[in-house]
Amino acid sequence: MPVVELSYTRLQKLVGKVSKKQISDSLPFLGLDIESEDKDLVRIEYSPNRPDYSTDFGIALGLQGLLGIKTGTVKLNIKKSNKFPIFVKSGVSKIRPFVAGIVAKNGKIDDKTIKQLMTMQEDLHFGIGRKRKKSSIGIHDLDKISFPLVYTTTNRNHKFIPLNSEQEIPISEILVNTDVGKDYGSLLGQSPHVPIIFDKNQNTVSFPPIINAAITTVTTKTKNLFVEVTGINKDDAEDMLAVVATILQTAGFTLESVKISGMKNSTPKLEQKKISVNSSLINQILGLNLNPTKIISSLKKSRLDAFSKGANIVCTIPAYRFDIFGPMDLVEEVALGYGIQNLEPILSPSQTIGKTNPVSLQLKSLDQTMIGLGYLEALNSSLTSKRVLYDMVNRDSSKIISVLDSKSQEHTILRDSILPGLIENLSRNIHESYPQKMFETGTVFTLEDPISEKINCSGISAHKDANFTEIKSVIQSALKIGFGIQIETKTTTNPTFEEGHCASIIFNNVPIGIIGKINSKIIENYKIRVPVVGFEISLSESILKNQN
Amino acid sequence: MLLSQVFHEIEKKIITSLRDNPKQTPESLEKSTQLLPDQIRRGIEWLRLKELAIVTESQSSVISLGKNGLESLQKGLPERRLLELLKTGPKKLSDLQKELGFVFGPSMGLARKNNWVEASSDQISIKNPPSELPGEKTLKLVGNEKISKDKLDDADLSGLLKRPDFIIEDVIKSKEISLSDSAKSMELSDTTGEIDVEAKVPEVFVARTHPLKDTIDEIREIFVTLGFSEIFGNMTQSSFWNFDALFTPQDHPARELQDTFYLDKINAKKIGTSEQIKKVSESHKKNWRYQWDINEAKKMVLRTHTTCVTIKHLAENKPDEARIFSLGRVFRNEKVSYKHLVEFNQIEGVVIGKDASLRNLMGIQREFYKRIGITKIKFWPTFFPYTEPSLQTMVYNEKLGKWIELFGMGIFRPEVTKPLGITKPVLAWGGGIERIAMLKYDLDDVREFYNNNLGWLRSATKCQ
Repeated sequence: MPVVELSYTRLQKLVGKVSKKQISDSLPFLGLDIESEDKDLVRIEYSPNRPDYSTDFGIALGLQGLLGIKTGTVKLNIKKSNKFPIFVKSGVSKIRPFVAGIVAKNGKIDDKTIKQLMTMQEDLHFGIGRKRKKSSIGIHDLDKISFPLVYTTTNRNHKFIPLNSEQEIPISEILVNTDVGKDYGSLLGQSPHVPIIFDKNQNTVSFPPIINAAITTVTTKTKNLFVEVTGINKDDAEDMLAVVATILQTAGFTLESVKISGMKNSTPKLEQKKISVNSSLINQILGLNLNPTKIISSLKKSRLDAFSKGANIVCTIPAYRFDIFGPMDLVEEVALGYGIQNLEPILSPSQTIGKTNPVSLQLKSLDQTMIGLGYLEALNSSLTSKRVLYDMVNRDSSKIISVLDSKSQEHTILRDSILPGLIENLSRNIHESYPQKMFETGTVFTLEDPISEKINCSGISAHKDANFTEIKSVIQSALKIGFGIQIETKTTTNPTFEEGHCASIIFNNVPIGIIGKINSKIIENYKIRVPVVGFEISLSESILKNQN
Repeated sequence: MLLSQVFHEIEKKIITSLRDNPKQTPESLEKSTQLLPDQIRRGIEWLRLKELAIVTESQSSVISLGKNGLESLQKGLPERRLLELLKTGPKKLSDLQKELGFVFGPSMGLARKNNWVEASSDQISIKNPPSELPGEKTLKLVGNEKISKDKLDDADLSGLLKRPDFIIEDVIKSKEISLSDSAKSMELSDTTGEIDVEAKVPEVFVARTHPLKDTIDEIREIFVTLGFSEIFGNMTQSSFWNFDALFTPQDHPARELQDTFYLDKINAKKIGTSEQIKKVSESHKKNWRYQWDINEAKKMVLRTHTTCVTIKHLAENKPDEARIFSLGRVFRNEKVSYKHLVEFNQIEGVVIGKDASLRNLMGIQREFYKRIGITKIKFWPTFFPYTEPSLQTMVYNEKLGKWIELFGMGIFRPEVTKPLGITKPVLAWGGGIERIAMLKYDLDDVREFYNNNLGWLRSATKCQ
């Protein structure tokens, strides 16, 4: 979840007459988690579906609604203008076909505002921009740009001075030598041409989706802003623009339109949309009995507008609330405006009779039996390492199931056997008193169509007199008492076990497992100083019944 | 006063025998008690640990006769034979030599040295020999037996020891068992006497279910009693059921390698019915505006939640009225730390029915928490891609003095249910179990559940 850092005093100014406590009490009910607080500063986690909450301006709008200070939608007042045209050329069609933009004038920009705008930009890029792939944003100092602009392509030798640099650098070098170039350069593919925005004088304004030009850098001296959003989809680009426009208007700027034309591009409208929802759906889902007036006032507290029309509530949704897909989303908006804290939990009697899965019951009975035999239950991860599962216990690793890019070296492959983990567990307990007896029941994985999951049980016993007879007695009794089945053992060899002390476990003439004394070399490599005996059986095929 | 103790039958027999015969070897105890050597060995060890028996280990020499010793036992020492020949009168040296053979030289030397004989020209005659010659006493005592060296006269033995093949000396180790003073008078009956009930006893370790398993079982039990039935599902799932069916777009950050474990080069063969695939993909294209790719949906992952199991069950069964839950391991590609595991347990439940409402869902949660002993709870709104509205439970932890996030819940979005042909609203809730178990067992490090550290497993107290 993305995080934004805010100041309580700044929020108080933005919201209106509220105390710090009212703010901190209300934040969670907007769906914002307070991660940490330090005097005036508060760090807040917000949901990626609400990019308007990436700045204090957006959060202030939400708080005003919830606290009843200002309710209803925020309407965008965009002055129509012809002064800021962008022409789109055909070259971008195959790379990044759409551009949207807006001009924001006469705002006050202090350090804190710049910081808020930067976080918003980053979060928009990461979330709805899908790491700049779908859409990306550039915020510029309007007064450094001469219109009209052209959104076109250029070759990779083109040079300009990028943001945070003092000299001209060719695009090919920006892609190799800067962090943003390295992170996002792959979005441009192998094409020799890359998207670019030039101004009237052929000066580079932006190299989307990588970096802006240094000349348009926004500082505390900036008064007027130009915002451009480019993307592979017109709607996504305009959604992103709607968030920025709403935030800038809230921050005190006046908005003017940017006229866009060419190659299926047009001036973004950033219009409100209307969705109807049946009031009985709202009441059914929430378990409430609200009249239309209460529903409408709740929606307004969620910064939406609504009126009733018969049984329906017709809702007006501003462009930046593209997280609202349909009626169900409006049910949630009613719940938030009504106040989650005002929803009283109710426990209605169950119409169904609960049932434990038969497999769970059978496994539980096996657990009890093993415990009765003096075995302690262990739990190991299904994800383990090649070392533990194969190398240390001499097993063949040709049918390994790996996961990609694990962040932990100890968790890279799925286990196909439980016993190796238990042997490793012994090696970490050599300082504990003996005898040590453990068992584990769990899922094992094998390559089969594409993966088969089965339940195995393994047990292990380590002490100075541990021997084959002991462990055979254990599994024999466990299966007899747990499941009423009789097993036999038949001589076999297995590299994990000591030769001459190893057998297959046979049930109904089918081998279902292995048992024996663990190879002394393995024990030695694990620095275990007592003999170890163990078994592993597959429960799924022959023993467990009625899965699901 | 020393209190009597409870004795094993073996111990009693040994003590009784030692009272009759205070110093014994294990072998003699075997004879006197009629116990087996192993029982004697164990009994002595038990008594020794209780400081009731004293075991002295000693080394001793045993003497027996060698080849020449045995010959002398039969025929007399060579010098005795010499003296016997002279008893009847003086004899010629050459005759004696003939009679005694190669022992004549040494026996003659010894007899002359001790003045037992006299020699004049070539006549040897007896002078005044003692009635018992040195060494004869020892020969007689040892005879054909083995005799402890300290039962013999050292001076008498020493002469024989110098002679070749006369004496064999063996060093043997032996144990001698005796009773301590307290054991000599202690009451042996275990019904009449008092025992030291305050004495420390050895620690024994209990075999038990894993503490985390106890919590899992407890949670399962609670939901079964609340009318929920348990279903099972695979841990390896196609991306289709783990993500696509749950309205998580294919380009969503949560689907990336750094958060999700994808199986290397393994794809699902069949991910769903053609109807399910068609409708789910249409919903994605329409709402998320991107090119949905079936190959992406076929990629196998380790499930990131158990929700994929419940949604698949609902899609296959389409019940009108049901309470079901699924419990099992889920996976996240995270760095392992004291608060994060790559693999943990999750419970996930759903309710379908005409009464299904958000307040019901909250009621079920409140009841569940009450049963695990958590009464201070509240609900906050949150966001999940597949539910709307969505809430999370916050519970107050007295020890930490703060609110902790536990289960998440919500109502499945129509974008999830409609494409799968589910028409009724579905309440869903779920969350991690280790978090609850950590609170119960007062653990700070979640890794402890999977360390299989016997020190902890043997000592952790069961929670109720």
